[in-house]
Amino acid sequence: MATLSPTMSAHPARGPIRRAVERFLSNIPAVVGLVVTLIIIGMSLTYQWWWIYSPNDIDLRAINQGPSVSHWMGSDGVGRDVMARLMQGGRISLLVAVVSMFISMFIGFIFGAVAGFSGRLVDGAAMRLVDLAMTLPPVIFLLVLASIAGTGVMPTILVISLLSWPVLARMVRARFLELRERDFVVAARGMGASLPHLLLRHGIPNCIDILVVYATLQIAAGILLEAGLSFLGLGIAPPEASWGNMLNAARSTRVLEAYPWQWMFPGALLVTSVLAINFIGDGLRDAFDPRSDLN
Amino acid sequence: MIGRTLGRTLAVAGLALASTALVALPAIAQSEEKTIVGGFDVGPGGFQGNFNPLTATAGFTWLNTYYEPLVTYTADLSRLKGELAGEYTASDDLTTFTFKLADAVWHDGEPFTSADVKYTFDLAMNPESGSIFAARLADVVSVETPDEKTAVVTLKGPNGGFLSTITQLMMLPEHELASKPAAELAQSDWWSTTPVGTGPFKFVQYASDQFVELEAFDDYRDGRPQVDKLINRYFANPAAAVAALRAGEIQFTYAEADDAQSFEDAEGFTVIPGDSFVLNYIGFNHRTELWNDVRVRQAVMHAIDRDTIIETLYNGAAKKAECNYVAPQYVPDDLIDYSYDPEKARTLLAEAGWEEINGGQELPWLTYYNSPQVANIMAAVQAMLADVGVNVAPRVVDVPTYNGIVRGDDVSQFPLVYAGAGNGPNPAQHNINLNSEQVPPNGNNIMHISLPELDTALASAMSEADPSQMDARWQEVCRVVNEQMPWGSMWVASRYGIASDSLEDFVWTPAPGGGPFEMNPEAWDIEP
Amino acid sequence: MLRYIASRAGTGLFLLLALSVLIFIMLRLTPGDPIDAYINPTIPIGAADLAALRERLGLDQPLPVQYFAWLAAALSGDFGYSIQRGGVPVLPLVLSRVGPTVLLMFTAIAISIVVGVSAGIISAVRKNKASDVGLSIVSFLGVSSPAFLTGLLGLYAFSVLLRWFPSGGMLTPGRPYSSLDLLYHLILPATLLSIAQGALIMRYMRGSLLEVLSQDYVRTARAKGVREFWVVVKHAVRNALLPVITLIGSTIGGAIGGAIFIESVFNWPGMGLLMINAVTSRDYSVIMCATLLTGASVILVNLLTDIAYAAVDPRIRNA
Repeated sequence: MATLSPTMSAHPARGPIRRAVERFLSNIPAVVGLVVTLIIIGMSLTYQWWWIYSPNDIDLRAINQGPSVSHWMGSDGVGRDVMARLMQGGRISLLVAVVSMFISMFIGFIFGAVAGFSGRLVDGAAMRLVDLAMTLPPVIFLLVLASIAGTGVMPTILVISLLSWPVLARMVRARFLELRERDFVVAARGMGASLPHLLLRHGIPNCIDILVVYATLQIAAGILLEAGLSFLGLGIAPPEASWGNMLNAARSTRVLEAYPWQWMFPGALLVTSVLAINFIGDGLRDAFDPRSDLN
Repeated sequence: MIGRTLGRTLAVAGLALASTALVALPAIAQSEEKTIVGGFDVGPGGFQGNFNPLTATAGFTWLNTYYEPLVTYTADLSRLKGELAGEYTASDDLTTFTFKLADAVWHDGEPFTSADVKYTFDLAMNPESGSIFAARLADVVSVETPDEKTAVVTLKGPNGGFLSTITQLMMLPEHELASKPAAELAQSDWWSTTPVGTGPFKFVQYASDQFVELEAFDDYRDGRPQVDKLINRYFANPAAAVAALRAGEIQFTYAEADDAQSFEDAEGFTVIPGDSFVLNYIGFNHRTELWNDVRVRQAVMHAIDRDTIIETLYNGAAKKAECNYVAPQYVPDDLIDYSYDPEKARTLLAEAGWEEINGGQELPWLTYYNSPQVANIMAAVQAMLADVGVNVAPRVVDVPTYNGIVRGDDVSQFPLVYAGAGNGPNPAQHNINLNSEQVPPNGNNIMHISLPELDTALASAMSEADPSQMDARWQEVCRVVNEQMPWGSMWVASRYGIASDSLEDFVWTPAPGGGPFEMNPEAWDIEP
Repeated sequence: MLRYIASRAGTGLFLLLALSVLIFIMLRLTPGDPIDAYINPTIPIGAADLAALRERLGLDQPLPVQYFAWLAAALSGDFGYSIQRGGVPVLPLVLSRVGPTVLLMFTAIAISIVVGVSAGIISAVRKNKASDVGLSIVSFLGVSSPAFLTGLLGLYAFSVLLRWFPSGGMLTPGRPYSSLDLLYHLILPATLLSIAQGALIMRYMRGSLLEVLSQDYVRTARAKGVREFWVVVKHAVRNALLPVITLIGSTIGGAIGGAIFIESVFNWPGMGLLMINAVTSRDYSVIMCATLLTGASVILVNLLTDIAYAAVDPRIRNA
């Protein structure tokens, strides 16, 4: 005991995070999820160096061909290599999910934090805005926003970010309301700390658990949303590849039955990535939960 | 504990209900009445949810099962034939048309008379009723009714397309509608609740977004229909209708080309192919400076391997278009052959100075087609154009967005489009798309095509009153289009319907806008 | 208390008004108007004809004029006519879609609760055994699959291939109404819709039950010699259900999202299908009414919850 306490007090800030990392690494599904995710990211970022086909090379003499030695995952309706499109699609889907996660996290955090740390007037106004965003039926919001923004990578990112931030804003605000009453924050405010200082110095470190878990789960949700949007024809428009618009081909019974490789591979990869990211998210949640040490 | 008990009860109830449903199925499926269910408003010729024939741009296959026009096309769309007009004659100068009406009765038992004809024309020519016929019927001077069974329509000048226009003018009952002001009619629920027509079937009900139900009209003038009920089921897309067809729930639907292909050798189904009468073109926006040089437009034609696209992506089911027509009588023999020749395309582009005009800059290529087949075609064309140095980026939008953009003024959004244009049976249809006089706000020349030679050719064809000279005039239009390529004429594809073999005497063709055409729904029958 | 309720209700009305302005602006920013949606691009129509149609619908008026005309009518209970459905009044149309959606959602939620809770119990009781691992994998797959994909594949397998269930719609066309027919159409979409929700409930139930099972009173019960079955049923499940019930309440929103896809795949005549059709056809009046109706119900639910909390906790009232 006597030897332990000095080490703990020597790294007061790192302690909980290091313990969280340790707990995370001892969670087998979470680690498997992390490894799988890294493999998928790695493959889609590097495919152009090790795969001979490029995603938009058409070959009208080799359309709808099944998996073979040259096309490992077959070819699609204009003879493009399914594997190359799968990797490029992964790049797009992950890009959309990650960027929209950052944007929605930024908006959500700022809104929640400002509302939580400010007076009643600002808090009230900010929360009414969150209410408004949450009152808007997601269907309408999604469809109308997507019609306004159009199709493509940037509009899809915009749509997904704008749809996702209110949930985080509420969670962050709740945490900040709690935080506001704590001694160290009251003290910092008393000494005239500015809002940015409060957010950076006290806000983020005390919200890190919410943010990290939100980030992972939002990436998984973003992948699914992108796929859904592209499926409705509102997300990434062909010929650009994404997992969603590759899956869209399964709408046709012809493709569904006769050319299963055109939708099974993207479907499987999409489910695998979301699964892996969900495992990571679960692992992180447990890792940040102080009660999990007791078990 | 309560939750658990509740849960268990729910589970048991659910299972019980589910098993009853499965057992009860055969009972539901069997029925005494003969019913044909189809996806009659699926695909480009259909118009789900529209019940007002005056505001319909499509969906005439279905509307024609309970309403009827004076004249209609034969089932091969080659010529006109009387429907509610038992006989009709046109004066030699094509200005006076006399219709002798058939002995028809309305679904409510009232006789069909010339007063109904006059009422329908007046309503259709009145823009307040929301009618989209107003402009097309603007040259009607008078509709006279010498007796109950005769109607005479007089036009300002000769109009060879008049009869073709009124095939889509469904006759409406004066005794039902005359009491309502025209302006209110467009918003009346009469159309979707209690419409009255003269067709072989009469209206029963519309279940919103689900189906429309009709029943046999016992007093139909050509005899009572063979089946008791005719039902038009609604589907979100053709693929869903194909699933229902394969599940045995419906007997007919339109299908996309690749779905039709999988029915080719399927037992129990007949694939009905037909000409789409839609010319697909690559539209050059003449408001941009990009396409001013005819060599650029010709280069685009030479850069695209249409033969291979038709052979692989259309499975051979499309006709190459060297001008705006494919019907043999309008296509002269001495046309420029835009065969696939990327080398020639590069030379033409170099001569025209494409490097200075646009170079490698990416041009958005706008379309409203969202079918997988067109996505593939556009991807193929994109690659072929890139090969000669024209970089385009396909952009798929929905129909309202497309219309909003191409009818707006932001030309940078649509330097190039991929679209379709109605291509017959009436050749005069292209005038509104190609004539410089038809640039909005007048007509439909949304690409602002303005080629004097083409205007002259179109004007002389439009005003030709001598039927024997007609084909030659339209051939001249074709020749000019072929040389000048105001738009890049690509092909006219086939369209498909799929009918279950349990249907008998069923007539259908993928007519533009759904027809109407002579389909005799009263003769349709279904094997028990 | 009354003052509190009044102020909350006032905020709710203000939110609705703001919502109507927001959605009105968003709609007008959407490219293409109802007339653009109405015309088939392959069919040549003169621009003059279109201008006449716009004028008839008042679409050529300045935006504020259009908005206030709409607002004045809406305040008197008149939400107008659907532009694309010639003559159908909007309010009854929208209200007629509430029933089917609620039916589909509640059936799906009921299925997901029954299946999720029982699978969660089995999984927790047989922790780390084959059945637990199997159920966990299935549930993770359920959470990670997009609703449209399960919808498409389910449709293909159960109606096209096996022909067990109809491929879409709510009633068999042309037959008299029967609740069996309705049920027959309901089972497949409701089951497919319940997958994601059920999987989530199962995971929470498992976690919650495991936690309860490690608590002292459960150990006491075991020590007293109560049979394991009764330990689980009588003591543990009841307590483990509490957090799960909270979860169910908070994830209904997610189920609505999945319902759009299922309604679209199965052509189920609910709010989701209505809204998709209304947006793709730019049917302004329908979108406005449907948005306000769903918005109002969300606000109302929030209001009731807050009032209930306030009734219990006086601090909130005065805050």
